[in-house]
Amino acid sequence: MIRSRALRAYLRSPAGMIGLLLLLLVVAAALSADWLFPRDPLSLAGRPLQWPGQNPRLPLGTDNLGRDIAAFLFHGAQVSLLIGVVASAVAVGIGVMIGAIAGFYGGWVDDLLMRVTEAFQTVPNFILLLVLVAVFGSELPVITVAIGLVGWTAPCRLVRAEFLSLRNREFVLAARGLGMRDARLILGEVLPNALPPVIVYASVVMAVAILMESALAFLGLSDPNIASWGNMIGAGRSVLRTEWYVSAIPGLAILVTVLAFSLVGQGLNDALNPRMQAV
Amino acid sequence: MWLTRRQALAGAGGIAAGTMLPGLGMAQQAPQRGGTLTVQLTSEQRVLNPAIQASTGVYVMASKIVEPLVDLDAQGEPVGVLAESWESAPDGLTHIFRLRRGVTWHDGKDFTSKDVAFSAMECWKKILNYGTTLYLFLDRVETPDAHTAVFKFSRPMPQGLLLRALPDLGHVIPAHVYEGTDIRTNPANTAPIGTGPFKFAQYERGQFLMVERNPNYWRGNGLPYLDRIVWRFIPDRAAAAAAIESGQVQLSTYSGLSLSDIARLSKDPRFVVSTKGNEGNTAHTVMEMNLRRKELSDVRVRRALCHALDLDFFIENFLYGYAKLGTGPIPSSSAPFYVPRPAPYPFDRAKAERLLDEAGYKRPGRGRDRFAQPLKLMPAPWGEYTANFATFIQQSLREIGIRVEIESRDAPGWLTGVYRDHAFDLTTGWHQYRSDPAVSTTVWFRTGSPVGAPWTNQYGYDNPEMDRVIDAAATELDPAKRKALYQDFVRIAIEDVPVHMAVEHAFISVYSKRLMNSHNQPRWASSSWADTWLAPA
Repeated sequence: MIRSRALRAYLRSPAGMIGLLLLLLVVAAALSADWLFPRDPLSLAGRPLQWPGQNPRLPLGTDNLGRDIAAFLFHGAQVSLLIGVVASAVAVGIGVMIGAIAGFYGGWVDDLLMRVTEAFQTVPNFILLLVLVAVFGSELPVITVAIGLVGWTAPCRLVRAEFLSLRNREFVLAARGLGMRDARLILGEVLPNALPPVIVYASVVMAVAILMESALAFLGLSDPNIASWGNMIGAGRSVLRTEWYVSAIPGLAILVTVLAFSLVGQGLNDALNPRMQAV
Repeated sequence: MWLTRRQALAGAGGIAAGTMLPGLGMAQQAPQRGGTLTVQLTSEQRVLNPAIQASTGVYVMASKIVEPLVDLDAQGEPVGVLAESWESAPDGLTHIFRLRRGVTWHDGKDFTSKDVAFSAMECWKKILNYGTTLYLFLDRVETPDAHTAVFKFSRPMPQGLLLRALPDLGHVIPAHVYEGTDIRTNPANTAPIGTGPFKFAQYERGQFLMVERNPNYWRGNGLPYLDRIVWRFIPDRAAAAAAIESGQVQLSTYSGLSLSDIARLSKDPRFVVSTKGNEGNTAHTVMEMNLRRKELSDVRVRRALCHALDLDFFIENFLYGYAKLGTGPIPSSSAPFYVPRPAPYPFDRAKAERLLDEAGYKRPGRGRDRFAQPLKLMPAPWGEYTANFATFIQQSLREIGIRVEIESRDAPGWLTGVYRDHAFDLTTGWHQYRSDPAVSTTVWFRTGSPVGAPWTNQYGYDNPEMDRVIDAAATELDPAKRKALYQDFVRIAIEDVPVHMAVEHAFISVYSKRLMNSHNQPRWASSSWADTWLAPA
């Protein structure tokens, strides 16, 4: 009943629907990449710096390293989605775990965990990410986990706040009165009710994760062996004045993907926010 | 000297436009005094003492303040600066330099042979990179009078080698400033006192260096012409291009702009884009192969890798034609030692595949790799040449069934990763040739370089025959025999190919047509600029 009402609310939200459509587009690109462009997207496809439309075999042209921009775009969708999903899973996972424990138990446990969280929050996310990449290298798995690691504090505080407000509600007290153990209370009773804002926020984390990888790649610090959109923007920077499309096309792809995630987040907010449902 | 296709075209355009624009015709005009020349530099080295750090990044600024004993003239022949003349004993053990009289340091003290002896024994021999090898057998410098310096070697030193090395490895610093101090930390290293046409004025790290005209310069005749030179450190290449287009800077040396901007500005009539005046700093873009890696210890595999690279395509499309095929470790710009030869490893994918099959690394199946582990390629972080070459190697080797993984590092990380830890299979880098193979090049092939010494043989290459040829050439006094020995050196270097000197390129200067008397000798950017002047805007 609740599910279908939320679904109906989502379907009524124009932002959510546009976002979903765009997201499906990106997912379709990622899924069809290996089928449409079976060649390695990093390989030399032709003479460098061919403009889009100049060569029918290369519809979006080539970058300054002779790579097929269209192939790069489709394979890059895989990388961006992978990073978005895995990094936000890491960030939200850690955030929920620490936030739930801190919020549920309160007291010194809360104090300790929150001081640790604050310690992370005082360092700017991107600086911390640069440090992690400098120390642990720039392979794709490392970068993905590192992006997750720098982003867990916000979901953590969100979950803690929800837990603080929920832990003394009647249904929790009733469950406690029935003799439920803490683990079951947290996972079975409080967490499901604390999740909606976290789900909404997770879409923001995904968008930020994709942007962070692009920023790393732009600085030449991402994994150079993958077809990431940021890598292409970084490579195209040196020809920005003459062949601007090399940076602009993957930039557009990032824009669309991040926009899709944000709009989906807004749609989820419309669907899951109890205050909106009352209207 | 050589011209690229684009440069030849640019030159033709300049002649056509000469009647309307301040182009070639202006060079005949009488020089004008005054003005400030502003120069773009990509990075600074934080040392302005060329007697302890041999690097074009130091020379480009410090050589206006501090002068060498000898420099090169327009034809690339040695010409005296602080030394007026020289003679050598037939055994090559004694070299006498007669020094210029009436030269004073910027602080008013007289320049004497004591300064030369101090610089040679304390700086060039003990601290200066390349110098520690070149002057290894320099026993002492005698000073019979204030204007004679006698260099005594314990092994024969060819006069030609010494004279060709001195423009880079022969800058004289004042003994009275450095004596009794720690030379490496002396404050004069960042506020130099010299004898040159310009005096140190101000150095703001990360911002700019400014020098001012030395009114007491020994050449007289109104030299130098410029009042002031300012080097601005602009690491972002797009910003550097904007600065030169807006006229904020008049000169960018050492390929300080991105290649696409260089190609764009070469069509702009306000600027000269040229490799002329940089022939003395010719460099190779190289692929170094670590022989510690089992597959690469087989010379057939190394040759296969070289044959897999379509360098003509690379030069035309990645380097905009601003380069040419390398033919060996001695570049074609080296008149005394270069013997024309074809590029040793022409593009031949079938031959590359055959060589790999012969070496026992057959393709295990369609789309599978020949090697069990991918090759780790650590590109040098020296901008587009080395980064793009790394990608091109990755793309090319993929075609012959070898997977390459690129690991990017910053400059300190790359230097330790390659030259100290040897944690690479392939790397791309620059080999910069400095006038004589014994100065800059044989260390890339001889054994015995200390671990961690950059730009030396750190890929585990060891051929006793090669060592013998290198040692014989370094002490051979007969120029003809020396040249012959270096042909042997080139032949072995190409046969064994521990490092592939793939592409040869001179650095590209971009400068305003207002800049006069510039790029008139083979290492102009590293020269004193005493006769350079600016035409009115």
